[in-house]
Amino acid sequence: MAQQGPNHPLKTSLPETYAAVNAQQPPPSYLYPTQEEQDRYLAGRPGATQQHLEVALQHAQQIQTQKDAEDAILNRILELIDLPSSPTADPATPSQEDTVKLKYSLAPFRPSDYDNLILERNFEDLCGYALCPRKHRKQATGPRGGFQFKYGPKGSGPGGRGRSVDIVSQDRIEKWCSDACAERALWIRVQLSEKPVWERRAGDTRGTTILLLEEARAKRLKAPAATSSVSSVVDDLQSMGLGNRDRSGELALERGDSSLIRPDGRVDVNIRENQRGPQQVAGAPQLRPEDANGGSIEGYVPRERRGADQDGDIDLLDQI
Amino acid sequence: MDGDSAHSMEAEREMTRLWRTFRTVYELLADRGYEVSDNELLLPLEDFRAKYADPLGYPDRTKMKIQARPTENMKMKYTALPTKANPNPQPDCGTIYVDFCPDSSGVGTKQVRAFNHLVDENNFHTGIFITQTPISPSAVRLLSGVPGRICEHFQEQDLLVNITRHELVPKHVLLSPEEKAKLLERYRLKESQLPRIQISDPVARYLGLRRGQVVKIIRKSETAGRYASYRWVI
Repeated sequence: MAQQGPNHPLKTSLPETYAAVNAQQPPPSYLYPTQEEQDRYLAGRPGATQQHLEVALQHAQQIQTQKDAEDAILNRILELIDLPSSPTADPATPSQEDTVKLKYSLAPFRPSDYDNLILERNFEDLCGYALCPRKHRKQATGPRGGFQFKYGPKGSGPGGRGRSVDIVSQDRIEKWCSDACAERALWIRVQLSEKPVWERRAGDTRGTTILLLEEARAKRLKAPAATSSVSSVVDDLQSMGLGNRDRSGELALERGDSSLIRPDGRVDVNIRENQRGPQQVAGAPQLRPEDANGGSIEGYVPRERRGADQDGDIDLLDQI
Repeated sequence: MDGDSAHSMEAEREMTRLWRTFRTVYELLADRGYEVSDNELLLPLEDFRAKYADPLGYPDRTKMKIQARPTENMKMKYTALPTKANPNPQPDCGTIYVDFCPDSSGVGTKQVRAFNHLVDENNFHTGIFITQTPISPSAVRLLSGVPGRICEHFQEQDLLVNITRHELVPKHVLLSPEEKAKLLERYRLKESQLPRIQISDPVARYLGLRRGQVVKIIRKSETAGRYASYRWVI
């Protein structure tokens, strides 16, 4: 077991072995304290072992990752308030640069973070859609928090007659500059992943491939009718390159088999065979003299099996 | 003329409300242990109006900035016990700065960034940001994320009355590290074995408690006269 190479560190539950192996191989993460620091910490605590420290560091790293992610999201919200870069930009045809920046920044967002962005933009007197430079709507009349009628286009009512009417709260109308921008912004919102970024797995594409409404519409127009012939499915499978050994590492990452912080896995699993000495070999059972009548049941000998010396107190009741 | 008097009525109303908030802020500072004079604590409404009203009779929040220094007693309470590594610890408290945000709605990251910058630039240890409306979630995060400084947020209506003066709120007294060590030794406890109080508790927010401190809560009891309990701030 001990001859394993440096890429396969010995996984063990024995504290001494664990410490020895870890001494040879410094942990890869930049967040990690050095071995000296760890030793110094452990020196003052007689009850703690290297393993305890490892578990504590693992949790500390998870919390730190979470904090870093939240800080990054906050910074990106602050950056996205300043979009678009030109005050005359058209939200229907945004500049390439802004689009890339928006898509990149939104990758770690959850829908609630996106709502915060909209709120912040409204506080800055901007439309909630990040690529729109216009001001958001403000209803002059009525107190805040009221409701409004919103009429649909002609012929949208029940039975194709008249107009449909929605009752919409004023805050929801005032978030945007126009209904078109509202649609664009909410189209992006539904593409975001509900999962916080520190819990996402490497292959999780939801939230990282965001399409603007205009792009999605253009794509839908261009896309040919779906073909599902056998040959096309086979071609697709082959293009994925499942048998390729180089990609198996990527696939393992997708499955979450290993993380960047702890390539050795979260838990150290060790299979330890029990040591068997020669004297511990169990022999076959042998007949003892007292077993002739069936022996005792957990120390109790039934009456009919008892010896003749107890004949005197046979209970009569048993014989009736 | 009718509209005019309605106008002045509203100004008067806002002025009175803000005066009460202002007084509570001074009481808060005094309760935390900052140097506050009696004049400031008992500021009458007339003086407040004369000092902080604008020509229309509305309060001018940009003038209302408060600074206070900690008293010796407070410094003692915020000084950690000396250890081998740090034989001469410095008190972890300093000048506090209170700012009233003049914007009546939509307080977001912009205002909070300006406030953070101000606190950082003037090297205040603690900052209290008081707004009229709730601030956005990202602004809350931004406010709590200043390294090395403590920034707190209150709404004006939270401080309209001083909650610690209510008869149902028992007296909370912060223990110094020395008193805390004595308490733990006397009852042979670890600090984690004490009952707890959340850092977001209204009284904890009022007193500006920090994680790891211990407060003594003194209640009146019908049977025992006074009953003291201790809580660990988490």
